[in-house]
Amino acid sequence: MPDIEIKKLCAFYGKAQALSDLDLSASEGEIIAIIGANGAGKSTLLDGIMGLVTCTGSVRVGGDEMLGKSSSATVAKGIGYAPERFNLFPYMSVKANLMVGAHTAREDVQTNLETVYRLFPRLAERKNQETATQSGGERQMVSLGRALMTSPSILLVDEPTIGLAPKVCLEISEILRRLSTEMGLTVVVTEQNANFALSLAERIYVLEGGKITSSGTADELTKDDALAQSYFGTKH
Amino acid sequence: MNLRWYHFLLWAAFAATLMLMPELVSKGTLRTMIFACYLAIFAVSWDLLSGRTGYISFGHPFLIGIGAYTTAILSKRFDVPLELSIPIAVVVTMIGGLIVLLPALRIKGSYFALVTLAYMELIYQLTQVVRPDLTGGTRGISGIETLTRGAVNGYYLAATLLIILTIFSWALMRTRIGTALWAIGMNEESVRGSGLSTTKLKCFAFLASAFVAGLGGAFYVHYLGSIAPRALFDINFLFTILVAVLIGGAGTIIGPVMGAFFLVFLLEWLRPWLPGAERYFIYGLIALVIYMYEPKGIIRIFSNLLGKLRGANK
Repeated sequence: MPDIEIKKLCAFYGKAQALSDLDLSASEGEIIAIIGANGAGKSTLLDGIMGLVTCTGSVRVGGDEMLGKSSSATVAKGIGYAPERFNLFPYMSVKANLMVGAHTAREDVQTNLETVYRLFPRLAERKNQETATQSGGERQMVSLGRALMTSPSILLVDEPTIGLAPKVCLEISEILRRLSTEMGLTVVVTEQNANFALSLAERIYVLEGGKITSSGTADELTKDDALAQSYFGTKH
Repeated sequence: MNLRWYHFLLWAAFAATLMLMPELVSKGTLRTMIFACYLAIFAVSWDLLSGRTGYISFGHPFLIGIGAYTTAILSKRFDVPLELSIPIAVVVTMIGGLIVLLPALRIKGSYFALVTLAYMELIYQLTQVVRPDLTGGTRGISGIETLTRGAVNGYYLAATLLIILTIFSWALMRTRIGTALWAIGMNEESVRGSGLSTTKLKCFAFLASAFVAGLGGAFYVHYLGSIAPRALFDINFLFTILVAVLIGGAGTIIGPVMGAFFLVFLLEWLRPWLPGAERYFIYGLIALVIYMYEPKGIIRIFSNLLGKLRGANK
């Protein structure tokens, strides 16, 4: 049974349809990526899973229907959300940012904090620094750390590499892989950076205008000439 | 809560300084300090809500007024003892806090501020026309029982209340709930994304703010011995509270206390030279310069100075 299974998910902003009959799934410990351009519906999809946007359809987590439930219930079910790094609390210290996630922690807060500091030693060194004064990469780590403070089994990550240097992107990629392999987390990543998604995810979904237009492994998608040219900058 | 030894030391120094004042200053100055203490309480209550959550309330006199009018009517018209009328006033103010919360569930920013301003105007009109036999109409109520007699006793009561409420609010804001309220002020959506119920958190903030405002309002009216709608539900009264918070440092609890004392004494010091309304021009100018120099308020100026001193000693 998939860890998370989404069927016929639709979302609207007023009369504008942001997501249309979207189907996707991820198994336990798997990393999947959703790639798409600006306005494709990537963030809406994650917000919809979290219960932050009203949707129709079905979002099943561990067999339980989560659609229509509050974000508190979704987090309690084991879904952690790392929004874009611009969505931190800029005038709070790193530790205070992490502690906001601790409110809904399903396990011991101190253990979670130690886990986050072990995964991101740089955050431990700068725990009293305001996030507004941090680099983009560090802020992304805080965003991931805050989501991990809720002790999730499924981690939703919204555009983790946006505006980051290639070296930092590699670092983020390595961390997400470790979360999957070492901690057994199911990771759902949305990305505009298709090459990042290809190198990281086991399966990739292409989202265009709120619809999944194709999906498959990195090998399968790169063989599609039209897709390769649009997203990966190559042609076979 | 992450308390350090110097927190206890600073609070003890703060309390001791306030308590020693009657030995050090004249009775006239004490009367000024009593007003500064009550203004500080109102500023702290505003800061608990707006300074933290970013929901800028222009209707704060609405809450203070509910507390003041409830205890005034109960004690004056129904002979309810003050030990009972004040707690009832606080509870009624907290219910008023929930009424202010209602628009905050749907709107924010300038829309919320304007709706809360309407609350103040609404209660101003209501106190004049609904049951004037109880509220005293436009003339208000006089001859209300006072809790203390004389400036010294009045000061001790106001200062004790200020110390208790400030420490209570400061400690509350250092808890995880306080951190979450602060986070709401910066990014409410992101707080929801972390699985927190922002509705419950906002409800808590509005209730806590109303509790402090109601208690302050009730004690204030029993210090003054009279109440009038024009004095309480007035835009100038509202702006005095707001300026105290902004000058002192919003979201810090202790900043608004500093701001309140600074503003009250600034006005008093200006009085001999500028006895008329023109001193408000100077007062506004000074407030503006301080705010432009350091938008995070007097408390930040102090902490920066402290930081420089520490740096110089290293």
